[in-house]
Amino acid sequence: MGQPDTAPLDTAVFADSGAVTVAPVESLLAEDHKYDNGRAVDLSWVPSIDDQLVDSKALGYRVYRIVDGGEADSLADLPPFAAAFTDGSVERGHSYVYFVSALSPSGEFPSVHTAPVKPEREWINLSRGWLFLIMLFISAAVIFFVETARRGKKLFVRKIAGLEAIDDAVGRATEMGRPVLFIPGISDMDDVETLAALTILGRVSRTIADYDSKIFMPVSRSLVMTAARETLKASYQSAGRPDAYSDDMVNYVTDEQFGYVAAVDGLMAREKPATVFLLGAFFAESLILAETGNSVGAIQIAGTARPAQLPFFIAACDFTLIGEELFAASAYLSGEPRMLGSLKGQDVGKALAMIVILVGVVAMTMSEAWDVGVMENLRAWLVRVFSTS
Amino acid sequence: MEHFALWLGAFLTLGILSFLYKDNAWYKLSEAVFVGISAGFWFATLFWDNLVGKFWDGKGEEPMLWVGAALGLLMLFRLLPKVGWLSRWPLAFIVGATSGLWLMNYLASNIMSQVQATILPVFSSGFGAGFDADLATIVGNLVIFVGTFTGLVYFFFSKEHKGVFGGAARVGIFFIMITFGASFGYTVMSRMSLLIGRIDFLLGDWLGMIG
Amino acid sequence: MTTRTKEIIALVAVALFVVIFYIRKVAGRGAIEFPTWLSMLVILLILASLLWILVLTIRGRLIERRVVFLYVGIAVALPLFMSLTQKISVSPEVKQLYDAIVELPEGSKVLLSFDYDPPSAPELQPMAESIIRLCLQRDLKLIIMGLWPQGPQQANLALEKVFDDEDIAAKNLQYGVDYVNLGFQSGNEFVIQRMGGSFQSMFQSDYEGTRYEDIPLVRNVRNFSNVDFSVNFSAGFPGTVEWVQIAVDRFGLDLGAGNTAVQAPQMYVYLNAGQLNGLLGGMSGAAEFEDVADYRAKGTKFMLSQSFAHAVAIAFILIGNVAFFMSGRKSRLKGD
Repeated sequence: MGQPDTAPLDTAVFADSGAVTVAPVESLLAEDHKYDNGRAVDLSWVPSIDDQLVDSKALGYRVYRIVDGGEADSLADLPPFAAAFTDGSVERGHSYVYFVSALSPSGEFPSVHTAPVKPEREWINLSRGWLFLIMLFISAAVIFFVETARRGKKLFVRKIAGLEAIDDAVGRATEMGRPVLFIPGISDMDDVETLAALTILGRVSRTIADYDSKIFMPVSRSLVMTAARETLKASYQSAGRPDAYSDDMVNYVTDEQFGYVAAVDGLMAREKPATVFLLGAFFAESLILAETGNSVGAIQIAGTARPAQLPFFIAACDFTLIGEELFAASAYLSGEPRMLGSLKGQDVGKALAMIVILVGVVAMTMSEAWDVGVMENLRAWLVRVFSTS
Repeated sequence: MEHFALWLGAFLTLGILSFLYKDNAWYKLSEAVFVGISAGFWFATLFWDNLVGKFWDGKGEEPMLWVGAALGLLMLFRLLPKVGWLSRWPLAFIVGATSGLWLMNYLASNIMSQVQATILPVFSSGFGAGFDADLATIVGNLVIFVGTFTGLVYFFFSKEHKGVFGGAARVGIFFIMITFGASFGYTVMSRMSLLIGRIDFLLGDWLGMIG
Repeated sequence: MTTRTKEIIALVAVALFVVIFYIRKVAGRGAIEFPTWLSMLVILLILASLLWILVLTIRGRLIERRVVFLYVGIAVALPLFMSLTQKISVSPEVKQLYDAIVELPEGSKVLLSFDYDPPSAPELQPMAESIIRLCLQRDLKLIIMGLWPQGPQQANLALEKVFDDEDIAAKNLQYGVDYVNLGFQSGNEFVIQRMGGSFQSMFQSDYEGTRYEDIPLVRNVRNFSNVDFSVNFSAGFPGTVEWVQIAVDRFGLDLGAGNTAVQAPQMYVYLNAGQLNGLLGGMSGAAEFEDVADYRAKGTKFMLSQSFAHAVAIAFILIGNVAFFMSGRKSRLKGD
């Protein structure tokens, strides 16, 4: 940490007796910027006493830097009332000395120099310690529940509206002799919503195989096509109907968003599916698809975690899985320990958030309205823990 | 050339809009042109910006680019069934790297910051202000607190929605639906804006009817 | 008359309309503007026809969807001819962004990220032009980049438009000294992450191919700590969410945002949490910014159309609900 020393002020510019002199800044401090790669130094100071709101003599400040005992270079000009500056152009392995000049119409009035400061690299950002601990806590909860599920213990997940409708919807398609259309969104396999959609596909396709219905699945990504074909094949085999499966059930259309929409709309208009599943990540095409499905008289079950698209699905579809309900549905239907455990672990995170919010609001309200000291301490602690800077 | 560009733009715009009347050849032609050009555009952009701009131009300076290029090549093995499993490695890398980046980002921005911002004094206008909030501020603070809390209750899957918990979940879904209604309205505005932009092009830039 | 014949007649009428007005334009005739009385008459006729549709609906005669499309088209097009203006009231978040820019001292560096493409231009281009104009008026330096391929091209179009302004042209701004376009970089959020350490690692040269170290404006700009303010124009992914999560939360960048109206509701949580310093949402956000910056342009011009279109949409929602309740009532009367 750089401390001010008592080096003589030999760089001030003094004009004649009509000069406007301003007091230099005080308590100039130069410190290595914490938790970085050694690329920044923080300066702070007390502004000149002549830097006033009214009739101020100070025009601003100029920051100077001396690298490894060389010449002083001007770094930045700052406006009045500035009291801090971060020099983001330093390099590790060099020594830096700073001084700040207060500016007046007559010249500059430099401060004392700081002691040399060497920027250092920190490997761990300790200011994010609480973030790390909370992440560990939630991760530990997830792992605990995954292991619990793996040991065979049944984990409770509440009923999700819309899931009971799946079997009825597939049955409807069978009775009407019309196909089921499954659309897994337009994102690729790296999107968790697509993975959730394919998990639900496994369950839906077993029902379709049992009922001997027909399924169409146009997709927008080639990797999704591969994964979907594997899922369908496995479902038909487990239903004892491997002969009924065909690769043509899943076909790749195009990566282009509205080209895909045009193709699916055409498919809906021609094949008139009785049931449409819209599960996964959707964007601007969501309403076009849902509206077209509605116009051909299909029963529609939708689910996405995109907040901007949920209003359209809720307006145009018969059942909608809102946000996390999509992931909960995929965990519930697959029964896979990892998915169930993740869901329960996330619930622990949500419970933590609810408790913190409730306690924090009560503490904040009591400390502000009735000046209760212990509540003020609690509130300040909570705000500090959940601060990300 | 400018006249040709205007007429072509207008022709394609009207072709797409003709779908509102019914499906027709004009719409199919416009749509096919759009899909084709966008595919070509993306190919050209990714080739010149990524392959040439990032990898070829910088290959001598950054050794890690070769690692990236090798992983990219592995993706092509998907076309060969016998060694198709090799394409899972770059995919695993992308999923893992993205998950690692997103885990801390989302935890910090979408959970920690939001929890901190929800800790509000119900009857005060701010920190250190005391018991001074007017009715609008009190209602606003209560809406944020109750809406956030009950919304979290709705998405809690480990408990059945019964009794007091069920009541809170019901309040939560009301808040969520009102939010969706506002979002719907915003989206309608967005779609109308796009239509206004096209109408401005047709009536202004093309036909000169508006200034 | 068969449907086919009607369609042909309609097509011929449209073609004649187009030819007449195109010739009129080429002949140098100016824009058409309705006098106030005609504007009011048009509004009254539209209202009357909507009331008539409501009466028909109550009587059980439902209109088809193409009539709704026609009404929306008319609601959007006709206000563009009217001389009426709409009062704009400025939202606090728009004022916040405006204040953040005007409080910057002369010579401050502002990073503008253009993360959208032409389909979102009607909403985002007006706000981009307004913000660029304000920044250049106040002698701020602009560093332009994009995470979407067409973003930097949209930026160039906005710059061209702004430079047509006499006040801005008189400043004789120099490329590379007063503003620079670093171009597009693929990699989505990873680009922002790398920029936190070094801009040059992501942009070895600018849009024109000039090496980064040869550009006076950015030569000494290493990373976000050397930027005084930033505005992100976003239509989706990657966009404002990624900028907030990485540039703001990790590197402390001071960020304002302009978003399409679809995305804007999601950004309010970041605004309320202090992670965003100002927000413009959709075309109304652009119009409000033009109002507070005292420069009326496309955003303001289009607000009347926006309001009319919304009014028509609300009218049809009401009519649709009447139809719904009437059909429910009929079913109950029939004993279904």
